[in-house]
Amino acid sequence: MRRPHPAHRSIDGGAVTENQDLPEEAYAAALASVPKIGPATLRQLLAAEKPSEAWASSSYPGDVARIWQRHEERGIEVCWRGGPDYPDRLGGDPDAPAVLFCLGNPAAVNRHPTVALVGTRSPTRYGIGVAAQFGADLAAAGVSVVSGLALGIDGAAHEGATAAGAPPIAVVAGGLDDPYPRRHARLWARVAEQGAVYSESPAGVPTEKWRFPVRNRLLAMLSDVVVVVESRHGGGSMHTVAAAAERGTPVGAVPGSIRSPTSEGTNGLLADGCFPVSSVADILTALSLLGVYLPTPTGAGEARREYDGPDRALFDVLSPDPISLDQLVRATGLDLPALCGGLERLARAGVARDVGGWWERT
Amino acid sequence: MLAAISAATLTGTVGRPVSVEVHVSNGLPGFTIVGLPDAAVRESRDRVRAALLSSGLPWPLRRVTVNLAPSGVRKGGAGLDLAIAVGVLVATGELPPGCTEGLTFCGELGLNGSLRHVPGMIALADAAAPRGLVVPLGDAREASLVRGDGARGVSSLADLVRILRTGAAWPTIPAAVPSPPPPDLADLADVRGQALGRHALEVAAAGRHHVLMVGPPGSGKTMLAERLPGLLPTLTAEQSLVVTRVHSAAACLGPDGALVTRPPFRAPHHRASIVALVGGGSWSLRPGEISLATHGVLFLDEMGEFPVAALEALRQPLEEGVIRVSRAGGTVTFPAHFLLVAAMNPCPCGEGVFTGACACTAAARARYTRRLSAPLLDRFDLVVPLFRPDPDQLLDGPPGESTAVSAAKVAAARGRAAARAGGDPPLHPDGARLLASKLREGALTARGLHKVSRVARTVADLMGAEQVGEEHVCDALTLRTARSTVAP
Repeated sequence: MRRPHPAHRSIDGGAVTENQDLPEEAYAAALASVPKIGPATLRQLLAAEKPSEAWASSSYPGDVARIWQRHEERGIEVCWRGGPDYPDRLGGDPDAPAVLFCLGNPAAVNRHPTVALVGTRSPTRYGIGVAAQFGADLAAAGVSVVSGLALGIDGAAHEGATAAGAPPIAVVAGGLDDPYPRRHARLWARVAEQGAVYSESPAGVPTEKWRFPVRNRLLAMLSDVVVVVESRHGGGSMHTVAAAAERGTPVGAVPGSIRSPTSEGTNGLLADGCFPVSSVADILTALSLLGVYLPTPTGAGEARREYDGPDRALFDVLSPDPISLDQLVRATGLDLPALCGGLERLARAGVARDVGGWWERT
Repeated sequence: MLAAISAATLTGTVGRPVSVEVHVSNGLPGFTIVGLPDAAVRESRDRVRAALLSSGLPWPLRRVTVNLAPSGVRKGGAGLDLAIAVGVLVATGELPPGCTEGLTFCGELGLNGSLRHVPGMIALADAAAPRGLVVPLGDAREASLVRGDGARGVSSLADLVRILRTGAAWPTIPAAVPSPPPPDLADLADVRGQALGRHALEVAAAGRHHVLMVGPPGSGKTMLAERLPGLLPTLTAEQSLVVTRVHSAAACLGPDGALVTRPPFRAPHHRASIVALVGGGSWSLRPGEISLATHGVLFLDEMGEFPVAALEALRQPLEEGVIRVSRAGGTVTFPAHFLLVAAMNPCPCGEGVFTGACACTAAARARYTRRLSAPLLDRFDLVVPLFRPDPDQLLDGPPGESTAVSAAKVAAARGRAAARAGGDPPLHPDGARLLASKLREGALTARGLHKVSRVARTVADLMGAEQVGEEHVCDALTLRTARSTVAP
């Protein structure tokens, strides 16, 4: 059934406004915004036709101009499969979303090798520290860190990755106009500024539960290597792992304590044959097996070990394992103001880090 | 056959003079009380009659009318018994008319004519007539705190009648019962480790900063909070009177009726009603826990479990130092100038996010912390994370500094702050630079900046520093690190 103005249909089917020259992206966004069209239908629709043609040949209600305006106003890029901005690395995947939304630079994901750092939303101090360190070291080594901007491991990985280096990549579940979780709104903006935040959901779509597994699959598609830092048995990270395994993407896991419930999942993965990750070098080795050669960040450890500043004695007490202020007081004999001042100076020098009230060497 | 006797009644923590007018006339024998008496006052008819008869005094077989003036104010409690009895005696000519001139009578009567304790004696004494007041012997000490020699105590109605008839000497007020040695104040030396927690207590005591402690069960939150009053200086004479007045009105003063000189410590349970917390009641408005904690410490354990309305009710007192309780019967203002110490778990299961043992979902955690509104959280200058001490520290660690040592530090810091008389110590450029960078990073809001600077000043005072340096600012920032855990 053809209608005179396919671009602007109200629910009752009447024309709302005059058709202007809307780009293909506008029709892609409109198609993705139709509640009745799921990811598979959308793929089918866009497999043969351009978005404008697909829209014209369908009879879904919706105001393309308004949907397009909503995305444009918020700076949300729309990439459709076959369009110019669509990420290259998704091209070959049969399950890749037909329409992708992006805040930041949609091409950011093409330039560097990508490693997903994922894990539980209630991590231990150990997990937070490892995620932040891997995030920072990978970014410095020229690897884009991919994660989900969730609380816990995801957030820590991005905190580390936004410090410097390769652009960070985030994949989120809901619409890009509404940061979720709210607590990470600032981090979200920083990732969008330095790299890109992708989502399969158009603006205005709330973060619903079923969208997380979909998000996790996209995350796996965008990554050359997937590393699980901490995960409970049957945690959400296992969706990412399953999607990665289907695609033959290498999956690594960070070993953890056998007593820690947050390491049940990762230790299980190791037993299942995932490669163990005990340092960034392990991840870089996995990348090199894929043909991506990156110099292992050299001298970082040595340079830090040689740190020689006014707070040398305090620095010597710190280790890569987080230590509480209480233990620091006992080990150094300093009073709290002196101790806090010293830690602040070490943090500013980039050799120490605060992990939820505990301190560790970076 | 008319008599007018001065008495006093309690509204909140304030005494109000009441004139008890007794009229005895011919007519059918009867006894009525008018002038907005509450149930306890109405029942005093029977007590007064029995007390007179037991004391060997005649009861008039005539019509007795008692009016409590001003008649628009509700009168409560049994404290008016004595004045009514004396009024009947004067009106029937059993007592000479002039002998009650300028005296206020307060006391509850027993059926045998003995006089019993009345709460709020300090406030009642404030409202007493110029010559002084006559109270039960046990309450005389309390009354003498504000009226000195004007306070007179008698132990029974018969004694009182004898003294008023003959002009005999008033019984001497019993010397203060040597109050039992203060219950062993918990000492800070019992706390092993917890450097940050101890430090937070010292800063809180030195600068009157409200503290919120966030930590898993068994990390020593309650233990630390109980030791905070020991760090506070002894109350000044003025504070002492305020505290004693409130405690007297709430009838929770010690048996000896002595002044309260140590800062009180109140720890209401989280199921306490809002009225029990902030004060109230339908007619006789009673001070609540927050007023009883005035000039002392109010400890809210398991703050996350308190009803949201109760927590929100704390905001006005935290800001103004008083709580206004309004009821149909009127509005009273109670003092509520307390140091708030609260403790809560980081999440419903108590384990906290960082131990790995937390079984709570993110939504459950959010729900738990949402009970603390941002404005309430803003009242806490110190939001301190506490962790369980290491086992070796617990078993073999050296005992920590004792309360005496810490209290001396706090006293010295308070002295330094007082010596400046409100002036602020200079901020060292390094400290200013650090604050500016935190502000620019967005790690601090304008209000946060103000709070951190205040705490940093206190830390500098504690350390005996002349100016607020970088390390003092760092310390102040560390003392609020748990904010991110509990901020909604």
